[in-house]
Amino acid sequence: MSQGLARTGVRPSGRTPTARPTAGRRWRKATPGYLFLLPSAAILLVFVVYPIAQSLWMSLHDWSFFSSSHPFIGLGNYRTMLHDPRFWNALRNTAVYTAVVVPGQVGAGLALAVALQRNSLVNKFMRSVFFFPVISALATMGIVWKFLLDPQIGIINHLLVSVGLPDTDFLQSTTWALPAVIAVGIWKSAGFSMVIYLAALQDIPRSVMEAAAVDGAGPWPRFWRITLPMLRQSTLFAVVMATITSMQLFDQVYVMTSGGPLFHTDTLVTYLYQVGFQDFRSGYAAAISWVLFLLILLVSMLQLRLFRFKETD
Amino acid sequence: MIRTRTVLAGAALCAAAALAGCSSSGPASTAAGSGNGVVTLNYWSGFTGGDQATYVALIKMFNSTHKNIQVNMTIQPWDSIAQKLPEAMATGSGPDIATPDYNVGTIRQYISNGLLAPIDSLLGNGANQVPAAVLPPAIKSAFTVDGHLYAAPANWATLELYYNKTMFAKAGITSPPTTMAQLESDAVKLTVKSGSTVKQYGMAIADHSTIAMWPIFIWANGGNIQTANGCSALDEPQTVAAVSTWANLIVKDDITQVGLAGQDADNLFSAQKAAMEINGPWATGEYTPAHVDYGLAPVPVGSIGATVTTASTVPMVLNAKSPNKTAALTFFAWWLSKPVQAYLAEHAGYPPSRTDMSGYPGLANTPFVAGFSAQSPYARFYLPTVANFSSVDSNVFSPAIQAIERGANVASTLQSASSQLNSAVNCSS
Repeated sequence: MSQGLARTGVRPSGRTPTARPTAGRRWRKATPGYLFLLPSAAILLVFVVYPIAQSLWMSLHDWSFFSSSHPFIGLGNYRTMLHDPRFWNALRNTAVYTAVVVPGQVGAGLALAVALQRNSLVNKFMRSVFFFPVISALATMGIVWKFLLDPQIGIINHLLVSVGLPDTDFLQSTTWALPAVIAVGIWKSAGFSMVIYLAALQDIPRSVMEAAAVDGAGPWPRFWRITLPMLRQSTLFAVVMATITSMQLFDQVYVMTSGGPLFHTDTLVTYLYQVGFQDFRSGYAAAISWVLFLLILLVSMLQLRLFRFKETD
Repeated sequence: MIRTRTVLAGAALCAAAALAGCSSSGPASTAAGSGNGVVTLNYWSGFTGGDQATYVALIKMFNSTHKNIQVNMTIQPWDSIAQKLPEAMATGSGPDIATPDYNVGTIRQYISNGLLAPIDSLLGNGANQVPAAVLPPAIKSAFTVDGHLYAAPANWATLELYYNKTMFAKAGITSPPTTMAQLESDAVKLTVKSGSTVKQYGMAIADHSTIAMWPIFIWANGGNIQTANGCSALDEPQTVAAVSTWANLIVKDDITQVGLAGQDADNLFSAQKAAMEINGPWATGEYTPAHVDYGLAPVPVGSIGATVTTASTVPMVLNAKSPNKTAALTFFAWWLSKPVQAYLAEHAGYPPSRTDMSGYPGLANTPFVAGFSAQSPYARFYLPTVANFSSVDSNVFSPAIQAIERGANVASTLQSASSQLNSAVNCSS
């Protein structure tokens, strides 16, 4: 039967080719849908796609706010970057911040989630306490920490001195400024990772844990061999998000140290801001932003590969 | 079919509405004269501080006395003006009048790109003019490029020494210092330590994001930041000697907290954690409400034998593309008139931007203005001719001073900064 149909070219459905909707009819049917997409598409084009394309274009020019002519210099801005010690200093600070904050934030988030996973009243309250810094404005938290770390009026210095430790001006010390910013970064973001892990922990079937316990596995083996592997997707998400936000660090540093002292907390974005909006070298600032974008893309791809991310994930 | 058309029309309206926001969010347009003969001058200024009310009141006063010229002042943060104004002026959509920055050198970037109109006709003895001789020399010099005047001062200030009378009395010091040597020894005497912890600083000296305090020490010792031809003077012996003296006082005697921004230094003096600070008239508005028992004295005299201090002014400029230049010049002349300058002094504490107002009736009510005003002939600008001021200050001078405050070798640090400064200002000598 089927062979016969195939030979005669008759479609199994019995529909004749003339029954198919024409291109014009398909277009008319789809047009309202496309038009409803138009407002969002227009906004995306104007406020996202166009600025991205424009920034790439600017990065290839000697572009200044002041000048009406912007000569094309090809990769000149990118070559300048290679010999710019401020850029390399900012890149190093950004890398150090990211390398410490990402594991710190994800590790602290996991520890908090495991400790607070039971749904008791106290745990619910503590989850809110640890999540509070995440929903607070980073600039506001930066100001609060600036006061806490102040050598004159800050409680942290007061406590340190009261136990016999030396008086330290954390945010003006070339040794302590970056560690202080890193510590605040971890404190601020750990709650975000905690929430991701709390949700993921709920999805681990109790039967798996009970079976492991019946087989004689203690708490640590259960954590390392069952819990942690089953949190792989959540860990991937937490790490990628933490990496992206860490590499884009700006407001916290801007408020706490303005990149100082002596550029010891200058990050790629604070440097980019200075170049673009204080020195008005927009073309060079655009080039830095593109390098940052490519770095984030590269690191994210590496992380996906490291965590063996698959389509099925 | 009708339903389809309705849907299409709705979607198109949505798209139009979404884009409407873009078209209406552009910069303020330059208003030409309206049909009834009234010229509207758009004015962008950055007076967001405690003196804002005074500027707003003065604009109202102008508008009420000039029926044919109305000034529409938009106040916005300085960094916002810095980001928007060049593009707005270059594209012909900028305001008629603006205060681009509180650093005088910045206007040179606007001038070199043809964005500002010269205002030479402001000076003269006519009805809507200001006699050239009454402007402080530092202002005329800073605002004149290639023989043309490009800005009028929106305000004018000098710095004096603020001192805490209570702390002075407690330290047994009976009068404020009059020489740099006395200032140095008083700063040490007024620094109170408990072990390694400083309980009270002799001075609050800001090293970044501030009106220039460090150059005063350098100038007072005969040193300089730039030579007359604009090249670096940071490696000159007098400059190195002055910086070495103050570096020693900071590193060895802890006379000031290091790494202070201008506001941090103000907070330190306001909180009575520092006994002295060199600052401008605007600080009285902070220290008086904080109940600080302070006095003001001229900046002490250094080895050059004369007082010297930092000048501060906000340049008020005219857009080259403004169609309302005559009206703008009328406004500038009114702004520099004696009654307006007296009002500014009385309500915001700024000394008049002209030198011929000694004994002017309105000034009698302003206790500190006379002192700041008396410093006008001795006031100098910091980096007045450097167009890329922000870059040079934040990348060259401030980092050098910050490094020295933390114990870096003075001579080699200033030598390195000197090379950077020469490179930044394209000076090959």
